Amino acid sequence: MTTPSRALLFAIYASAVLVGGVLMGFEMLGSRYLFPYFGGGIGTWASLISTVLCALAIGYFAGSAIVAQNPSQKTIGLFILIAAIYLACVPASADGVMEKILDRLGDGPSATLTASTALLLVPLSLLGTFSPIAVSILTRSAEDAGRVAGLVYGVSTLGNVVGTLFTTFTLIPTVGSRAITYIFAVLLAGCAGVLFLPFGRRTC
Amino acid sequence: MVVRSVVFGALASALIGIATALAQDSRNLLESKESLYNNIYVYEQSPYVSMTFGHNRRIYTESVYNTRDERDLPVEYTRFMTAGLMYAKDVRSILEIGFGGGRTSWYLHRYLPNVQLTSVELDPTVVELAKKYFGIKQEPNFQIVNRDGRLFLSESKDRYDIILIDAYRGPFVPFHLLTREFFQIVKDHLAAGGVVAQNVEPSTMLFDSAVKTINAVFPQLDFYRADGNIVTVAYDGAERKIEDLAGLARERDKAFGFRYSLMEMLSQRRRIEIAGGGVIDPNAKILTDDFAPVETLKNIERHNRKLP
Repeated sequence: MTTPSRALLFAIYASAVLVGGVLMGFEMLGSRYLFPYFGGGIGTWASLISTVLCALAIGYFAGSAIVAQNPSQKTIGLFILIAAIYLACVPASADGVMEKILDRLGDGPSATLTASTALLLVPLSLLGTFSPIAVSILTRSAEDAGRVAGLVYGVSTLGNVVGTLFTTFTLIPTVGSRAITYIFAVLLAGCAGVLFLPFGRRTC
Repeated sequence: MVVRSVVFGALASALIGIATALAQDSRNLLESKESLYNNIYVYEQSPYVSMTFGHNRRIYTESVYNTRDERDLPVEYTRFMTAGLMYAKDVRSILEIGFGGGRTSWYLHRYLPNVQLTSVELDPTVVELAKKYFGIKQEPNFQIVNRDGRLFLSESKDRYDIILIDAYRGPFVPFHLLTREFFQIVKDHLAAGGVVAQNVEPSTMLFDSAVKTINAVFPQLDFYRADGNIVTVAYDGAERKIEDLAGLARERDKAFGFRYSLMEMLSQRRRIEIAGGGVIDPNAKILTDDFAPVETLKNIERHNRKLP
């Protein structure tokens, strides 16, 4: 029976914090992309939040489906990398997309939902696959499952908290929204790079 | 409409001329309502009715209405919001963003019944309470639209001679109504010779950024200082000569008989050296859709640079 090396353990938990942080940070950033077009109303927030939760649901389901194929941390790395590429494309294209949605759909719930879907659904669904795959990599036995799942979700939720607060109170007031998006993309790409490294497995 | 200084109940009362520190207690709460966006309280202190937004146990007065005199504008800065009338080439249509209790727009509508007046308000409950307590009625040429101000403008094909901007939510400034992109949209909806009048609160660093941002789109800014607020009149082209403004002010005062005379307002006109750095912080940034830290700027007090 093999068990993940300490380095791999560290890489996965560190990624959990980072992925969690970017996930919520990007949701907060979503408001800065949407408000200029769809207003700062409660409807815009409801769309953003429900889209994020939808993305997480998709990510969790997809993750649980992939687990059967024995994925490695490289699979997670690949998903994170695709999310990073998506984020990197957002700043240059967001305004055009938002304008088109506003022109075609107006400003009702269908427009705000479409806009938040275009912005958030793909990258956040990809990031959402992280936790189930990470749990499957780290779990050695059936008895271990609950302990590992609790740890992974706990750590990634702490990342969510940090991402929300740090983005809102530090990044948005000091850096522009577009720059923050690029920073997130680079962080995710770096994280993916680390997960692509060859990690050994210890036997026990 | 908002009195932007953090007005506790007592200060709000001082504004309407009652000096007792405990005035808040003597006010009679007519109705409180939780809307989608605000906790709204309507107080009565005869003959005045005020609409306030409660936030963090402080009261932010949005609007004050004299029930005995619908042409009275008890809150001083709202009078200056009409200053655009002596700048605009024509006065056929006026747009207001941020209806509140609707005092400014109702005053304008009363004196200019033939001018098409449109006011955009985000919060439907604010409109509902304004109709209930602030004497706002359905009348021809007076239209209230329930919409986000920027969204309304983005989708509108109309142009206006005067655009009034006074959209605040208690202590909050919606960032998307204070960026260069927003003012560009505003400018695109001005008729030839049209002007913008904007209420800005001058005690925080947000003032410096707001002034620079408006100035990034409108080369000319004239300032009118009212109690606790500053009204900025922004326009394109060259600086307007005082004689020309006086001419229009006199002509329109005479034609419409405004209670708050444009001529008297004109004597309060100020210009600020914006680029010089003496008054407006040279490091203040132009706000954009990308970078508009309005909450942070609002929390930084202005330095001691004197406003004229």
